[in-house]
Amino acid sequence: MINSVRNTVLSILNKNNYGYISPSDFNLFAKQAQLDIFEDYFYQYNYNINKENARASGTGYANITKGYEESINIFSESNFLVHSSINKFFTPSPSTTNDNYYLLNRVDIYTNLRANGFTNGTGTNELIDTLTDFIASGVKAGDIVLNLTDNTSSEVVSVATNVLTIDDDIFVLGDEFSVYSGSDISEAERVSQSKISLLNSSLLTAPSNTFPVYTQEEPYLYMFPKTINSYGAVKCQYIRYPKDPKWTYVALSGGEPSFNASSPDYQDFEIPISDEPTLVLKILQYAGMSIREVAATQFGQSLENLETQKER
Amino acid sequence: MAYLSEYQYYENDGNSPSNANWGSYQYVSLKDIVNNFMLMYAGNHSLVNNEERFKVLFHAKRGIQELNYDAFKEIKILELNVSNTLKYVLPSDYVNWVRISLYQNGVLRPMSENIQTNWSDAYLQDNDANILFDINGNILKPEFSNIDYERIKGTKKSIYLNPNNPQFDGFEGYYYDGEWYFDFQVGARFGLNTETANFNPTFKIDKKSGVINFSSDMAGELCILEYVSDGMEGGDDTQISVNKLFEEYIYAYIEYSILHSKLNVQEYIVRRAQKKKSSLLRNAKIRMSNIHPSRLLMNMRGRDKWLK
Repeated sequence: MINSVRNTVLSILNKNNYGYISPSDFNLFAKQAQLDIFEDYFYQYNYNINKENARASGTGYANITKGYEESINIFSESNFLVHSSINKFFTPSPSTTNDNYYLLNRVDIYTNLRANGFTNGTGTNELIDTLTDFIASGVKAGDIVLNLTDNTSSEVVSVATNVLTIDDDIFVLGDEFSVYSGSDISEAERVSQSKISLLNSSLLTAPSNTFPVYTQEEPYLYMFPKTINSYGAVKCQYIRYPKDPKWTYVALSGGEPSFNASSPDYQDFEIPISDEPTLVLKILQYAGMSIREVAATQFGQSLENLETQKER
Repeated sequence: MAYLSEYQYYENDGNSPSNANWGSYQYVSLKDIVNNFMLMYAGNHSLVNNEERFKVLFHAKRGIQELNYDAFKEIKILELNVSNTLKYVLPSDYVNWVRISLYQNGVLRPMSENIQTNWSDAYLQDNDANILFDINGNILKPEFSNIDYERIKGTKKSIYLNPNNPQFDGFEGYYYDGEWYFDFQVGARFGLNTETANFNPTFKIDKKSGVINFSSDMAGELCILEYVSDGMEGGDDTQISVNKLFEEYIYAYIEYSILHSKLNVQEYIVRRAQKKKSSLLRNAKIRMSNIHPSRLLMNMRGRDKWLK
């Protein structure tokens, strides 16, 4: 989509020989435009929920909320959070989960540790520990297997006495592992810093494994009760930021850079194709300002306003 | 949470204790209640929106506590031996008593709560009745007050018609198998105070101290305490549950509790929630009362009995 967007933008900008934007400028504007649209999804989603509550929205193809939900879900990720110390877990970040998060939507706590130990054998897609009886430990297909050495995870496919067949090949000899029940999950609730002390000292609502809570203090989540204190106990579903779009090119041909989609750092837009017109209009506004062409900016603005009004 | 298989129900999947799941189908767990409420009654298109789960949890537990006090009829029963100091320490989950009985010779004999006190604190005093203090200014107290001491020694008189009643003093009677029997005053006590006309030992509960104080004839006897708790199971959230007959009521209770304390909720919505809650409680109580035709029939069979 990125090449099509760039071509459209350039086509409009070049009308009457207004001007030209370089690939690096385009990439900067494209990032801003995509972030703008990405954030607008949440406002639009909320707007449409309110419309639904006012009985001013339809179902089926008229279910606009569903469309926004799907757009947001493009950026949904689920990852086990890396444990720091005691009840502290790192929030998703490029160094722990390879992405930045926009919002944490759900934090699940795995409460039932079935087995742990060190691998003393190897096999493709297998966890082998001759010192652990996985059957006696109650490990079942669907349980969660974690490699505590390199913070990776997988799922149990089948169980033998000392061998677990798992979904991914994540173990080498000597890795530390733990296995959590895949069905004993409690959702943790975020509470504000001002409430956590009161909550902890309340008899009726003190956090428990059944009803865990967490507070947030970047770059950590603090889990309560404090017995939630190891990698594999906390899995987070969150919405990450879109990756920065990058229009990549090979050597110039005829003075023009030639688009190259197979470049290693190539990155297309992640938002749906239906948002291409909005992308073009937003980039036009930035580009218009860049080349001091007010007409281009105004054109982008007026069309975007028109589009917004139509979508209400 | 999935339904239990027959094997899980009867044998707890081979785990110990094997009876852990017996009768569990009557109940719905606290976790289920909170989950179901958050799923079905809270959200973007519901009356309850943007409320923290811990509030739902709080109201769920409060609702369960209230139900435990009367509607549930889930009586806990504890048998303990009464010590020579005539004390019975209240159970750790005790909230209120239902019935206290002496278990003797295979028979339960319900006891009366003494209408007078049978225990007291006391301060040490000198001959002029001045209160005595220690060097830190704290009041000195004896181990037992006089009323306690006499009760424990067995010399305290009773206003109840039991062996410590002064009315029996000096009269001839028969002492058989630990009990006194007399040839008179049986069924002919005109002007009898029926409130105290009971032969069984008496008790008085010292709530702050957490003990039941008995009259002296309970020393070394077995006491059966029937009591109600608040259903909080010592704070173990996994063990807290509600009878399914009250499930809908609990949802209505949580909804009402949240709506009536929330800003900008129209009064008619609060009233509607309140009515729903109240009527569901009534329905559940009727269901719990277990009025079976067969039981009524058994009682009605005595209607033609001749009174002599």
